[in-house]
Amino acid sequence: MAFKIFKEKAAWDMIGTASTMGMHMVSGTLVGLTMGYFLDRWLGTEPWLLLSFLLVGIVAGFKMVIEDSQRILRKQKDEDDDKGV
Amino acid sequence: MAAGGLPHPLIYFNELNHALGLNVPIHVWYTWAVMAILFTLSLAVRGKLAMVPAGLQNFFEVVIGGLEDFVVANIGEKGRTVFPIMAVIFIFILGMNLTGLVPGCDAPTANVNTNAAMAVCVFLYYNYIGLKTHGAGYIHHFMGPVKALSPLMLVLETVSHLARPLSLTLRLFGNIRGEEIVLILLFTLAPVVGTLPMYFLFILAKVIQAFIFFMLTMIYLKGSLEHAH
Repeated sequence: MAFKIFKEKAAWDMIGTASTMGMHMVSGTLVGLTMGYFLDRWLGTEPWLLLSFLLVGIVAGFKMVIEDSQRILRKQKDEDDDKGV
Repeated sequence: MAAGGLPHPLIYFNELNHALGLNVPIHVWYTWAVMAILFTLSLAVRGKLAMVPAGLQNFFEVVIGGLEDFVVANIGEKGRTVFPIMAVIFIFILGMNLTGLVPGCDAPTANVNTNAAMAVCVFLYYNYIGLKTHGAGYIHHFMGPVKALSPLMLVLETVSHLARPLSLTLRLFGNIRGEEIVLILLFTLAPVVGTLPMYFLFILAKVIQAFIFFMLTMIYLKGSLEHAH
């Protein structure tokens, strides 16, 4: 049965992290865009803050994805170490 | 409520709104209903706590004990101080998700407002825990490991921290709302026969969504509890 996989705690953990990564990339960009848009409207500096904050948002999104993948890698390494001992 | 423009066949609390002449939104009614169920259950369990658990107490001990083991394995002993709010988040969201499967009910989490409220609570809570644990030194969490890059990292980390509640909200909303729409579509196509097989899939999916919200809360709290890198 395919449901057997859910009896393992590591599987739950992995599903969580994997389904997070896509969302993290998009939400970082969206937050950057929104911040830039409203700062522009407030300070009247169109379109510079929008563009720079969009860039910052994209970078932040990628950074979160990298952190997520590092977490997966670290977890796998821990498990491999456990098996080795 | 119309899910995705489709009329829901029957919503109990719409009828109640009509009868009482009120205009309380459906998702608020169902949130209150889930809260009432959880309060009743917890009071019933608390009323007759025993050294040798039986019945309902047994069930709750398994659920909460399992969650606590998971949290302590991930955060460490410090996790026990922040565990209650995480257990509440998991059980509450699970209850609200599963409400969508009861005929005549609608999941409160299929409305973006419910999810946004919970995500903002999580955001404020983990920042409060960070400030309480580290004081003014909490700012080092936002500065990154390299000193020369810290102004840039401050902006980046602010954006990525603000993105957290957004991604929490949208993931839960998208999944649960999508499931509700699929259920209503299948119900209009083939009543009962079409929806029944989907129930098994959606029970699994709804448990996973509640677990993901819980797990992300745990990861954020872990980040604010431990020292900056």
